[in-house]
Amino acid sequence: MSDNRQQPGQGRSERRELTCEEALARVYEYLDGELGAGEHEAVRRHLEKCRNCYPHFDFERMFLDYVHELGAVEESKPGLEGRVRELLAAETG
Amino acid sequence: MTITTERRRKEFESEALVHLDALYGLALRLSGGDEPRAEDLVQETFLKAYQAWDRFTVGTNCRAWLMTILRNTFINQFRQQQSRPAAVEFEALAERPSSTALYEADPEGRIFDRIIDDQVIRAIDELPEEFRVTVVLSDLEGLSYQEVSDLMGVPVGTVKSRLFRARKRLQEKLYEFAVEMGYLR
Repeated sequence: MSDNRQQPGQGRSERRELTCEEALARVYEYLDGELGAGEHEAVRRHLEKCRNCYPHFDFERMFLDYVHELGAVEESKPGLEGRVRELLAAETG
Repeated sequence: MTITTERRRKEFESEALVHLDALYGLALRLSGGDEPRAEDLVQETFLKAYQAWDRFTVGTNCRAWLMTILRNTFINQFRQQQSRPAAVEFEALAERPSSTALYEADPEGRIFDRIIDDQVIRAIDELPEEFRVTVVLSDLEGLSYQEVSDLMGVPVGTVKSRLFRARKRLQEKLYEFAVEMGYLR
């Protein structure tokens, strides 16, 4: 987003502390790096102080890291390489 | 067949075919474990890549280039199918409460060191298609909300809500596995 000034957590409300509910509602956007700078900072400040939310965020981070690692799982299919080679040979003519 | 075209094919095979298993892995995740569909997707990807090989700069990231072709090929097919509504599946996932059972039972996330990847992969495969594709593009492939939104042709808000529900569903599944395996009580 190009205009951060319009996001909650900015401007007049910047000094206001987030409640736990507000912080937790932003957990994925925070961890995904999808919050605007002001909101990101507001959540970060909340986490510095909040003993309830910090472990929850930490847990969600572990979960997302775990799922992300599954993206590197390779799978083999017997015969597929041979079929691709045949396809390429046919395409080459 | 000329020497040049033969050399071109050999070059393509040595650069690109080494990524076959990675591509098949992504194809399987996108297609929800549908092996024939994943295999077609991989073959189509290699064919398109081969046809475009002259535009690929050798020495740059061939794997990423192939993954992008595969993703786009899948998404084109997916968006064509999407003219049929999948409202029932959407509702089925939408109505479930968001679960914090896993976090409450295992706040330190010990389960992530103990769970078997295959079980979680099956759980991803079983997500309703729109949710599965969103999770694969975002969480496995690391695309931004905007990139997923552009690819899938849905608003960013829809990407966010699908991700939220899909992640919670996966956590519910992890919780069930953990209980079944006796890691959690």
